[in-house]
Amino acid sequence: MAEQAELLPGTLDLLILKALSLGPLHGYGVLLRIEQMTRGALLVEQGALYPALYRLEHQGVIEGTWGTSENNRRAKYYSVTAAGRRRLKEATDSWNRTAAAMTAALKARPSEG
Amino acid sequence: MLARLRSYARTLRARNAFEDGMDEEMRFHLERRTEDLVRRGLSPADAARRARLEFGSIEKQKDLARAGVGVRLLDELRGDVSYALRTFVRNKGFAATAIITLALGIGSNAAIFSLFDALMLRWLPVNHPEQLLQVLKMSPDGTSDESFSYPMVRAIDAQPDLFAAAAGFSPASLTIGSGTGMRRVRVAYVSGAFYDALGLTPYEGRLLTRADDERGAPPVAVASYDFWRQQLGGTLAAISQPVLLRGVPVVVIGVSPPGFAGATVGTVADLTIPAAVLPQLVPRMDPLLGPGNSWLRILARPRPGVSVGETTARLGAVWPQITARSIDPRWSPTRKASVTGTRPMLTPGGTGWTYLRSIYVKPLQVLMGVVALVLLIGCANVASLMLARSSARQKELAVRLAIGASRERLIRQLLVESLMLSLLGAAAALVIAKVTGGLLVSIVSTARTQIVIDPTPNWHVIAFTAGVAIATAVLFGVAPALQSTRVDPAPVLKDDMRTSTMRSRLLPALLASQMALSLVLVIGAVLFVRTLRNLKTLDPGFHADGVLIVGLDQNGPPVSASVLEQVRQLPDVRSASFSTHTPLSGASWSEPALPAGRPLPERDTTLFVGASPRFFETLQLPILSGREFSDADTRQSPAVAIVNEAYATRYFPGQSPIGQRLSAIVRREKRDLEIVGLARNANTSSLRGRPPLTVYVPYGQLTGDVPTQLEIRVAGSAGDLTPALQRLLQPLLPNVPIDVERLAAQVDGSLIRERMMASLAGGFGLLALVLAAVGIYGLLAYTVARRTREIGIRMALGASRAGVIALVLGGTRLPLLIGIAVGAPAAWIASRWFESMLFGLKATDAAVIGTAIVILVAVAQLAAWLPARRAARVDPLVALRQE
Repeated sequence: MAEQAELLPGTLDLLILKALSLGPLHGYGVLLRIEQMTRGALLVEQGALYPALYRLEHQGVIEGTWGTSENNRRAKYYSVTAAGRRRLKEATDSWNRTAAAMTAALKARPSEG
Repeated sequence: MLARLRSYARTLRARNAFEDGMDEEMRFHLERRTEDLVRRGLSPADAARRARLEFGSIEKQKDLARAGVGVRLLDELRGDVSYALRTFVRNKGFAATAIITLALGIGSNAAIFSLFDALMLRWLPVNHPEQLLQVLKMSPDGTSDESFSYPMVRAIDAQPDLFAAAAGFSPASLTIGSGTGMRRVRVAYVSGAFYDALGLTPYEGRLLTRADDERGAPPVAVASYDFWRQQLGGTLAAISQPVLLRGVPVVVIGVSPPGFAGATVGTVADLTIPAAVLPQLVPRMDPLLGPGNSWLRILARPRPGVSVGETTARLGAVWPQITARSIDPRWSPTRKASVTGTRPMLTPGGTGWTYLRSIYVKPLQVLMGVVALVLLIGCANVASLMLARSSARQKELAVRLAIGASRERLIRQLLVESLMLSLLGAAAALVIAKVTGGLLVSIVSTARTQIVIDPTPNWHVIAFTAGVAIATAVLFGVAPALQSTRVDPAPVLKDDMRTSTMRSRLLPALLASQMALSLVLVIGAVLFVRTLRNLKTLDPGFHADGVLIVGLDQNGPPVSASVLEQVRQLPDVRSASFSTHTPLSGASWSEPALPAGRPLPERDTTLFVGASPRFFETLQLPILSGREFSDADTRQSPAVAIVNEAYATRYFPGQSPIGQRLSAIVRREKRDLEIVGLARNANTSSLRGRPPLTVYVPYGQLTGDVPTQLEIRVAGSAGDLTPALQRLLQPLLPNVPIDVERLAAQVDGSLIRERMMASLAGGFGLLALVLAAVGIYGLLAYTVARRTREIGIRMALGASRAGVIALVLGGTRLPLLIGIAVGAPAAWIASRWFESMLFGLKATDAAVIGTAIVILVAVAQLAAWLPARRAARVDPLVALRQE
């Protein structure tokens, strides 16, 4: 397994929204898709997923419905709401700006200062 | 936001489903993870363990999830509530004291507010009361008048495009039935648009319309629901049947909806009668339909969609036309201007009208202030109790802090406890308010003016009480919660708690403020009690004891003097007389009267009383010089008058008024009067203030219709004369119930406001003292208990019992001194607000303040004495062994 990085605070919500924007998933599915999207490079404490899912559902950016899983078991499937799509777009833009700024800042050399 | 509310609702509604769902979801995750791990080659047991490890603490995640949707807060609150209840059950004494204190404090507020609400704030039970407007006329001098003449009411209602409906109303009483079944019934005279304006629909039959309110229309009435049920049998047959009002058959055409009994707050209208019917019932009242009498209050409903501003503008535009129809062309220009010179004003009218408001608004405001102070004293008590208890609870709090509870969490829990105490107190307070409601109403009622209001707490009162309870909880709960959670757990847990006593400056501060508040209330109570006593012991200039009064006819031809002769023949009767007005009846008659030769002004200058021979003897109102009226003063003899000292001093200073001549208007007739007597000043219209300038004229020289009262002075040993008087007088006055009253009761009745203030301010002052005493007792008892060991050491070292008592009593000295130093000036400042309600003394009366301070100090010392004596009885050996 490749070296794993700690999740930055606040990024879990963004990852969940991104994962769900590609299609409805149950909680374990969200975890698998995040691993797949990040190629396993980010460490997600598995249990921590659920408080985040409940919080996002409470905020109305995702919604959960009970359905049947691939192997015929009852599971709660989450999908992104319209508000969630707006939130995802805003959060993505904001993340990109932050990341670009951070990258630029970290590339700075003493001679340029 | 909406999503969040929905989410709360969902979780609350299905709390178990929420937990089950969370369980199921996490279990599903673990199972799937385990399966995946087994697929990667782990043994099922290893896979299951690995999955759980990767997941982390299930309970922690659940808790975080609950917090995420806000359920945790609710769970904690629920826990806090049941924890608080368990604490109360464990500390019954504490909880009971706190709850009773709060119940008394909040209950006082709820009771007074109920009365305030019933008189001032309650909507009439009509359609959209908030839309109703009361019409007032404003004089150029800025005073407002709410009474209108009947033609003016009709003119306002008749204006097109002004109001949807505008109606006048006025309460009165009439006799119903005949013979022995005759009794008084409370009625309202209304103009035809009354029910239209209020938007009421009949419960049975029909309500009055404008067509019923025309001169000569058949006399009809609408019964209130209660009257119909209780007096008319509640049957449909009663509707369309006539009842006898003053001997005239009046058909009851319908029943108004339950709950509605007229627009006059404080009384009920059993029957509602069109104003135009009045002359048919009481022919002499015909002038009431003319422009000269303003006796109706107006409620109006605006047209839909027309604002109050727009309605006022429209009313202002047509006002000259309206007033033009409401004056008599024969009037003098000044009198005409008193109507045409006004301008209209509209105020909210949905709470109805009552003269009681003008009388009681100030006393009730003062009493609201008083009960607020009582509650503050109660709050201080409970706050000290909580502080005292929290030091006993230090260990518990320290343990909870040590095992990781946050300070916020503890404060929240302590505040929940405060709120619980407060709400339990408030619940008891509502019961107190309900029970005392009837008592309060009876305090403000007299035999003659029964006040009918329903003081049962309604949602206004419940909301008010809940608000007060929450504010109270914050007041007494926050400081102790902050203070008691400011503990460092380490020393408390290491040591025993006696060494880590919390030295609080808050307790003496609370005690000092209690003393100050109590002093304010006691000073207020003494002021009002003394005011009542001053008025009751005041010499009004006549002697009311032993005088019976009978209202004969409020407006009729003078009653024959032969009736007086028959009354005088009754056993135990010392003397009897007729008059137009008895002292302090509330009714009065005034006319212009000046020394002969001066032009008579248009306005009335002087109080007039028509009196028969022996009137002054009967009332024991001394004639200082000249003579009383005699049987020789008749319509055929020269017109004479007796003036009082005030009149004589004003118009004949330095000379005898006897023999002087007056010119006066007496019942619309210009007369020259010769003064034949000088009467002593008497407080005939009010016990307060100076006796008014008064002219007495012989009852036998009056013409036209007059009110007639009968005064009888009886022997001290006289039995009940009522049956004899009824037998004698009833045949003369078949349409009037003969009610015999004591003049002393009428005098007392004029003091109703003062009696209310004295009894309520006195009662609340007493309550304040009791609460303050409980506060002192509680604080000192607690201090003594905490310092038992110290007291033991002192005694072992040779301190005397007296020394120990002095030590404990000394604890109250500073708070008491501070309380007096703050309370006395505070009382002085507060008293400016109600100084006008006092009589015969100033708010700064040194004797009053001195008395109040003595009472307060005595109560404080008494309350402190018990714990002090207990301290003095401490056995040093036992105390030291406590170590």
